[in-house]
Amino acid sequence: MILLKDVWYLYGEKPAIKEINLTLKDDITYIIGPNGSGKTTLLKVSSLIFRPTRGEVLYNGENPWRDKKKLLKLRKKVVYVHEKPILLRGRVIDNVAFPLVLRGYTPSDAKDRAREILREIGLESIENKRRRELSAGQAQLVSLCRALILDAEYIFLDEPTNMLDIENREKIIELIGKKKAKKIIATHDLALPLQLTGRILLIKDGKLWGEITLDEYRSMFLNIH
Amino acid sequence: MEEILEITLRSIIVSLSATLLSATWSIPITLFLSRQKTRTANIIMSFFNSLVGIPTVIVGLFLYMILSSSGPLGFLRILYTPHAIIIGQSLLITPWIVSLSYEVFVKARNTYWELALALGADYFSANMVMLRETLPDLLVILLIAFSRAVGELGVALLVGGNIRGYTRVLTTTIALAVSKGEFEFALALGAMLVFVLFMIALTIRLIKAYKE
Ligand SMILES: Nc1ncnc2c1ncn2[C@@H]1O[C@H](COP(=O)(O)OP(=O)(O)OP(=O)(O)O)[C@@H](O)[C@H]1O
Ligand SMILES: [Mg+2]
Repeated sequence: MILLKDVWYLYGEKPAIKEINLTLKDDITYIIGPNGSGKTTLLKVSSLIFRPTRGEVLYNGENPWRDKKKLLKLRKKVVYVHEKPILLRGRVIDNVAFPLVLRGYTPSDAKDRAREILREIGLESIENKRRRELSAGQAQLVSLCRALILDAEYIFLDEPTNMLDIENREKIIELIGKKKAKKIIATHDLALPLQLTGRILLIKDGKLWGEITLDEYRSMFLNIH
Repeated sequence: MEEILEITLRSIIVSLSATLLSATWSIPITLFLSRQKTRTANIIMSFFNSLVGIPTVIVGLFLYMILSSSGPLGFLRILYTPHAIIIGQSLLITPWIVSLSYEVFVKARNTYWELALALGADYFSANMVMLRETLPDLLVILLIAFSRAVGELGVALLVGGNIRGYTRVLTTTIALAVSKGEFEFALALGAMLVFVLFMIALTIRLIKAYKE
């Protein structure tokens, strides 16, 4: 369970999120809100990438920022997938295998596992491509596979479907749904919470505006469409 | 011809040493600065940025005063030696290396470093990832600094003294040849210098092409 207690994060002088009090314990939690409302910042703070400027992020009641060993250990079980994919030099297969290599797998075991997940998404044809040879959507798929290859306890996904075509979107949603981890998803994909249901939180101007039920969400969604 | 080759070789060795020497402090300084978000770090960076365009004779003069027999480091007795040129050039290109690599490191910290943490890396692995990803850019920056060092005249003339067979490098020899009216010799040396710079540029292109 992740608990955020009066969490603030400032870029320079300006708070991007403020007064966040939140418990993350559901299988799926959605964070939705307009551009610049603080979704990415909230995800990075919750996933232990950014240290909160103020307040506390607690994992099972403990503040990992107070104990470097715990922080590093927890980071192995928490993954965050960037909204804009960041790929490393080398081939697609090396990228997907990278988190396993970090965890001490031999390169060949890691690559076997990577090949498996790429095949699952139907990406075996690009496994030997380099990052500049990929389309935007392919890069996003690779970046997602690289995180979903792990059996993490928490998976933070920042707009996981925004560049995908319908078919790949379905495949990724299925893969996300199969993961046992608790998932926290920031998204502008309004149909997503209807397909993979979860708790829905609204954020605006860096502040949490509360939670809406699926029924409320559905009627809002139908009004828009 | 033999003399031209000898001088060219000396130019390359001296400036390469200066570049490597400068890298030993410039890169750690920049790595450190790129981690800081404080105002002091910003001030230090603007200081380095403003030194990028410093005239080479100023650096030469400054070093001359320090190394001359009455200067604070005069006891080292390295004025008019290749060592003096190497030190002078390494100081000259420090602001270049710092300014150019700062951007590279800041960007890498917000991307590759952050990515490594997001996927569970410890700080050591995150640093290795960052270094691996920035290596081609760093090589290019060092080559740019090297070409600046090879092509400078002020430092080599003032603290090297243009001693034949000892501290004479391409630029100082060209200056001397022109002053003596030996234009053909000067042109041949100039062609050599341009050739060296061209080879550096070519290497930079190759690194960029194979960067991925
Ligand atoms: N690196 C940064 N430096 C300065 N300000 C930033 C930085 N990143 C984000 N911000 C600011 O923080 C606020 C929140 O940004 P954030 O990226 O968290 O929004 P978001 O909800 O993820 O937006 P989007 O839907 O466009 O992805 C914005 O006002 C933005 O301008
Ligand atoms: Mg965002």
